[in-house]
Parts: sequence; structure tokens; C-alpha cells
Amino acid sequence: MSEHSLIKRTAHAAGSAAVNVFILLFSLFCLFPVYWMLASSVKNDSDFYMNLAGFPQTFRPSNYLAAVNVGRLDIAFVNSAIVSGIAVFLILLISFVMGIVFARYQFKGKGFLYIMFLSGMLIPVHALLIPIFIELRAFSMLNNRFALALVYTVFGLPKGIFLVTAYASTIPREIEEAVFIDGGNIHQLFFKIFMPMCSPVLGTLTILSFLDAWNEFPFSLILMGRPELKTLPIALTYFQGQYFVEYTMMMAGLSIATLPVVIVYFIFHKRIMQGMVAGSVKG
Amino acid sequence: MGKGSSAIRPKSAILFFYMLPGTFLFVALAIVPVAMAIFYSLFNWSGGPNMKFIGLGNYALLINDRIFLQALGNNLLLAVCCVIFQVGTAFVISALLCSKILKLQAFHRFSIFLPVILAPVVVAFLWRIIYNMDYGLLNYFLRSIGLESWIKPWLDDVSIVMASVTVPIVWQWIGLYVIIFTTAMKSIPEEIFESASLDGANGIKKAFYITYPMILDTLKISVILAVSGCMKIFEHVYILTSGGPGTASMVMAMYAYRTSFIGQRMGYGSTISVGILVISLSLVLFSNLLVEGRKKKYE
Repeated sequence: MSEHSLIKRTAHAAGSAAVNVFILLFSLFCLFPVYWMLASSVKNDSDFYMNLAGFPQTFRPSNYLAAVNVGRLDIAFVNSAIVSGIAVFLILLISFVMGIVFARYQFKGKGFLYIMFLSGMLIPVHALLIPIFIELRAFSMLNNRFALALVYTVFGLPKGIFLVTAYASTIPREIEEAVFIDGGNIHQLFFKIFMPMCSPVLGTLTILSFLDAWNEFPFSLILMGRPELKTLPIALTYFQGQYFVEYTMMMAGLSIATLPVVIVYFIFHKRIMQGMVAGSVKG
Repeated sequence: MGKGSSAIRPKSAILFFYMLPGTFLFVALAIVPVAMAIFYSLFNWSGGPNMKFIGLGNYALLINDRIFLQALGNNLLLAVCCVIFQVGTAFVISALLCSKILKLQAFHRFSIFLPVILAPVVVAFLWRIIYNMDYGLLNYFLRSIGLESWIKPWLDDVSIVMASVTVPIVWQWIGLYVIIFTTAMKSIPEEIFESASLDGANGIKKAFYITYPMILDTLKISVILAVSGCMKIFEHVYILTSGGPGTASMVMAMYAYRTSFIGQRMGYGSTISVGILVISLSLVLFSNLLVEGRKKKYE
């Protein structure tokens, strides 16, 4: 009897050790390439070639300067920040206002409009590359950071409207009555009452929209032809065209594009996970 | 609407004013472009002033276009691989992540989800270096465990290039499915597992008979998500192989881009876009129907 339970317990311990090791290996598999990028970005060349996977033995932060100079990553960084900033602001403002209206008011054509926006999540955006290029060219809006931000706004709206609508539906009805009894108008109701109440969902939306805009590639590629307007993901492709690729510099360039995103992830990873799950599962 | 609430209902004009900018933008940059793609797909057009109407000529070309069909095949292959390896592996990992025997759960969630938030371009570049013949991590790893014979030109060999393209894509987004599943699994009431344990069910049995049926809907949504995601693949292919060698790793979005912006064939490029749109939407609708059909059976 006791022998049997001992075997059982040993088997259980072995099983749980195996599970722990397996998941740990998988975690490292996800983490290691990112670590490798950051570690290689500060190595000198011989350290990179001779000590490929190891911890940096040398420290050469000038890789970052070289990457900035070759790829004009300083300009690209500013462009990315401007475009992402405008896009995030517009997505927040429009999703907030429309989400509140969808959640709390009845009007003609509401169902149609809501479905139109949600179906935007289904449109494969790459199918719109060519027509949006033609359309913006017709309005002379190529090489225009604001126009690129508008495109990002449109593709961020469906998720934003969905998240705000779902959140705002949970706010009790009595709020409106209380505000109007106190003599407030609709604009005060929206921006003084609803906006702070929606701050959790707006915070999540800010982070998610920033990540999307910062990382976006294909539209930036076709809409921003002029070198001084390119965003970071496009600027990174400059390294590719070079005859001789210095890998440590390349890793530094990739790190520059990635660090803002990783910092945001470090601070907000729980919210990012929740928001992404909500946005993708229910959408 | 009751009388009481109509008193606090804002004027229609104000609602209209609030809804207008977003609706205008969305129509201008999402609905109109779809119509434009359909319109231009009927022309032979290089982007300049000369446009020649050729009716459905481009579509006749499209269904016989070997590169497009190859690209479509690659997208579908990717979709199958993503469903099996991304969604499948994520399910197993999530089941283990939710078990009590696992230590460091927060760390695991953090690191498994990390690739999801990286730029696809960065992931593609990173994996290009990982696949590098002399200085790549992969060959370094194979060499250090004595498998030199396995070393291959990972991105230049026609027979394995699609596998080499698939791995970074699966790697990048597996974390999304892991978090989707763990969220769904955490919502299963603990008592069900407890009573199953009392009845003598082990971990594997519990995964099969409790976890799996309880999160079946989430699983189906994830399959739809993975399939529609695979129809959109662009950056990874653009950076890793540009669709090569030859057209061995061509995908639809890459082909549309190449035709329109490198080949300057805007008319035919629009036709490819419409093709992508129709194929993606019908796949989503088709999988939705499957999901709904199965649901009715259960009710």
C-alpha cells in the first residue's frame, strides 16, 4: 500500500518536473531571439562572431550611432512618433465618441452602421493597398504623414469602437439623468462624465493603437516614398540593401525600433494581453 | 424609447455631428477603396493616363495565373500549419500553464506573449539573421549539438523555404492563442476539476473531457482568427525571401504588391486584391458557418 503510494508520488513529481522543464524551454524559445537581438546590439564584431549566443563580453554602444547614421533612424523615429501620435489621438477621440453613441442611443441606421464598422475587422487590409494608394495619389496625399495617420486611424477604428461600445454599455442609465438634472449639456456629459468613466478602456486602446501604428509596415512602404518621411519599419530595410551587412549594427537598428514597444510591454503587459484577447475573440 | 428617456436624448443633429467624422473617414478609406479595387480590376492599366477596359479579362488571367495559384496554395498551406502548430500547440501549452504544478506562471505568460507585440518587420529581420548560413543561431545551435549534417541554406532551398517562412510566423503569434486559451480556461469553474479528480480523472483525461469541450467555442474562434491571419501574411515574406527563391514562397499579398508597385500593373494588381478579398471573406464566412452549424447541433 505505502509502496504503491510512493511510486505514485514519485511519478507525480517526475511528471510535474517534466511539465516545468518543457514549459521553461518553450518560454526561453520565445524569449531568446529577443535577448539575442539586444545582446548582439552592444557587442563588437569579434565578440559577435566568436561568441554568437553568449552574454556580451564587450560593450560597444556605438553600434547604435552607426545604425542611426546608416538608416537615418533618428528621422525615422521622429516620423514614427508623429504618425503614431496622430493616429492614436484620432482613434481614441473617434472611437470614444462613436462608442458612446452606439452604446447609449438609438437612431435610424444604427445597426447597419455598427455592422459596417465591425466588418472592417474582416477586411484584409492588404487588399486595400493598391486602391488606397491610387486614391491618395489622386488627392496628392502621398508622402504625407497626416494621410498615413488617417489610414492607420481607419484600420484602428473597428477595434476601438467595439471596445468602447462594450465598455460603455455597462455604465448605468441613471448617469445621464443625473447630469441633465444638474443642467449639464451633452458635450459635458460626454467629455466630463463619460470620458473619465471610460478611462480604463481608453488606456488599453491607447496602448494597442500605439503598438499597431508603430509596427505597421505595408502602408508606410507604399505611401511614403520620400526618404525623409519614412517610418522606422521602412528605414530598417535600408540595411538590407547594403552590400556588406554589419550584423551588430543591424541588431542595434532592430533594437531601436523595438525598445519603445518592449518598454510599453514591460509596464502594461497585463492590459495588453486583456485588450488583445477582448479585441480578437469577440470581434 | 420611453418618454422619460427622450427628455435626455440629445438632438439628432448632435448625434449626427458626433458620428460624421469617423463614418466619413471609414467610408473614404475602407469602403470606397473596395469599390475602387473592383472598378480598376476591369482595366488594363499601368497607373498612367492610359486605361483600357477589358471587362473580366483580368479575372480570366487570374484564375489561370500559375504564380497566383501558387501564392494561394502557400497561403492555404500556411493556414493549415498555423491551425495545427499555432492553435494546437497553444492549446497544449495553455492546459499546462493552467495546471497547479507549474512554477513561474507569470514569467511564462510574459515571455510567451512577448513576440506578439514585436513589429513583424523586426521579427522577420531577426529570423533572417537566425537562418544565416555562417552567423545564424540555428546553424550555430545545430553545430554545437553535433548535427552539422542538418545545416541547410534555410531560405534558399526551394523544398524547405515555406517551412522556414512558417516557423517565424507561428513563433510570433502563438502567444496570442496561449493567452486566449488560458483566459478561457481560467473561467472554467474549479469545482468541475475537483469533482473529476475525486472520480479519479488524471490531467490528460481532464484536458480531454473537461477543458476541451468547455473552451470549444474559443477554439473555433481561434481557428478562424488563425486562418484569416494567414491570408494577410506580407511582412515576413517580404523581408525573409521576397517570395523567392523564384516564386517558391510567394503569398497573395506579396504578389499583389509586386505586380502593382514593382511591375506597374495597377489594373491586374487590383484584380489580385479583389481575389484576396473574396478568398479571405469566403474562408471566414465558411468557417463561421461551420462554427454556427456545430453550435446548433449542441443546443
